[in-house]
Amino acid sequence: MDQIVRYFFDFSLMSAYWPDILRGFLITIEMSILTVLIGVPLGLAIAILRLYGFKPLNALIILYIDFFRSIPQLVLIMLAYFALPSFGLMLGPFTATVLALAIVLSAFSEEIFWAGINAVAKGQWEAGRSTGLGFNQTLVHIILPQVVRISIPPLTNRAIGISKGTTLGSVVAVPELLNVTSSIQSNVANPTALTVGALLFLALFLPFVRFTRWLERAYAHPRS
Amino acid sequence: MRSATAITPASADPIVAIDGLRKSFGNVEVLRGVDLRVAKGEAVVIVGSSGSGKSTCLRCINRLEEPTAGTIRVGGEEVTGAKVDLNLLRRRIGMVFQGINLYPHKTALGNVTLALRKVAGLGKAESEQKARQHLELVGLAHKADSYPAQLSGGQQQRVGIARAMALEPQVMLFDEPTSALDPELVGEVLNVMVRTKEMGMTMIVVTHEMHFARDVADRVVFMDHGAVLAEGTPEDILVSPQHQRIRDFVTRSRA
Ligand SMILES: Nc1ncnc2c1ncn2[C@@H]1O[C@H](COP(=O)(O)OP(=O)(O)O)[C@@H](O)[C@H]1O
Ligand SMILES: [Mg+2]
Repeated sequence: MDQIVRYFFDFSLMSAYWPDILRGFLITIEMSILTVLIGVPLGLAIAILRLYGFKPLNALIILYIDFFRSIPQLVLIMLAYFALPSFGLMLGPFTATVLALAIVLSAFSEEIFWAGINAVAKGQWEAGRSTGLGFNQTLVHIILPQVVRISIPPLTNRAIGISKGTTLGSVVAVPELLNVTSSIQSNVANPTALTVGALLFLALFLPFVRFTRWLERAYAHPRS
Repeated sequence: MRSATAITPASADPIVAIDGLRKSFGNVEVLRGVDLRVAKGEAVVIVGSSGSGKSTCLRCINRLEEPTAGTIRVGGEEVTGAKVDLNLLRRRIGMVFQGINLYPHKTALGNVTLALRKVAGLGKAESEQKARQHLELVGLAHKADSYPAQLSGGQQQRVGIARAMALEPQVMLFDEPTSALDPELVGEVLNVMVRTKEMGMTMIVVTHEMHFARDVADRVVFMDHGAVLAEGTPEDILVSPQHQRIRDFVTRSRA
C-alpha cells in the first residue's frame, strides 16, 4: 500500500512541474473545445447541404464522410502535419491536430444529423409547409429542433471519443496534457505524473459528459 | 343543419374549382380527370374506397402533390403552374391530417403561433392572442401550455384544426381527420368540424364517418378509381345511390 502511494501519488515530485502540467491541460482543453466547436457545426452544415439534394454535391459529400470515417485519426494528423506542407499548406502541430480531429468529427456528426433528419416523420414537413412556411423555415423551426434532440446522445459519444484523440497530438509534438505528463514521468522516473494527467482528463471530460446529460434532459419534450 | 340550397350550381363563384385534374405516380395514373366545384361556405364530403385517390386529390389542391395535368383555382386564382407562390397559396388553404402531425417540441399554443408569426408576420403578443382565440374555439384554451404528448388524440387533432384555422384560410381540407383516433375520441373532433362549418368555413372533407357525411355535408362526392363517379345531396349518394359500386360501398360502411 505504502509502495503504491509512493509510486503513483507522490505529489511532492510534481512541485517543479505544475506550470508545465497546467499549460498542457489548457492546451488539451483548447483543442477539445475547438474540435467540437468546428466539427459539430460543420457536420450539421454538411447534412443540411445534403438535404437540398444536388446530385453531384451529394456524391462528394458521401465520399467525404466515408473517407474521413474510415481513416485512422493518427494517420490523418500525421498527413495534415507532414504531407500538407508539400501542397503549400504549412500547419503548426496544434492546428494540424485540431483540423484533423474536427474533420473526422464533422464526418461522424453529419451521419448522425442525417439519420436524425430522416427519422423525423414526413408529416412534420407537410404540416409546416401546409401552413405556408417555406422549406428553410420548416427546417429551422420544425425539423432541426427535433433532429438536435434525437442526435444529442450519439453526438455526445462521438464528440467525447474524438476529443480524447487530442492525446494523439503528441505524435506531432503538441505539448498537450498526455505528452507533458508522460515526459515528466520519464524525467522523474515516477508515474505520479500520469496519475495527475488521468485526474485532469477526468476533470475535463466528466463535466462535459454531465453537461450533455443535462442537454438531453433539456431538449426532451415532456411526456405525459 | 344542411342549408336549403344544398346543390350549388357550378356557375356560382366557386372557392375551389378543379378541372380535368390528373395525377400519375410513375406510370400509375391515380387521378384520371377530376372535376369539382366548391362554393363559399359549402361543406363537401368526399367518400370512396381506399386507394380511389381522395387524399391525392386533396393534396393537389395545396400542392403537396404536383398535379400532372388539369387546372385548380382557389378563390379565383390559378394555383397550378410554376409561377405560383406556394407559400402564399398554402396560407389561404388550411389542412388537417389523418396523422395529425403536431410539432412535438412545441406546446399547443406554440403549434398555433408558429405560422402566425413566421407566415402571417404577427408579433408575439398578437399571435398568442389569436392562437388562444382559436384554441378556445376548439375548446382547448386550458391546454394552451400542454405539449402534444400530454394531450389525447382527439385533443391533438383539435389543436391541429386550430393551427390551420388560425391563419383564416379560404378553405379547409380535412383528410380523414378522425381515422387515427380511438372511437370514443372521434365525436369531439367531428363536433369541432361542425362548428367550423357553422362559422361559415368552406370545407372539403375526406372521411369514412357516414353520419357526418349525412348530417353535415351540403354535397357528397363519390370517388372511384381516380375520378368522380357521382355527386349530389347526401340522400342521393348515401341513402338511395344509383350506382351499384356506391351501393356496395354504403353497405360495407354500415357493417
Ligand atoms: N407518393 C405516392 N407514390 C406512389 N403512389 C402513391 C403515392 N401516394 C398515393 N399513391 C397511390 O395512389 C393511389 C391513391 O392513393 P390515395 O390518394 O391515398 O387514395 P385514398 O386517399 O382514396 O385512399 C393509391 O393506389 C396509392 O397507392
Ligand atoms: Mg387517403
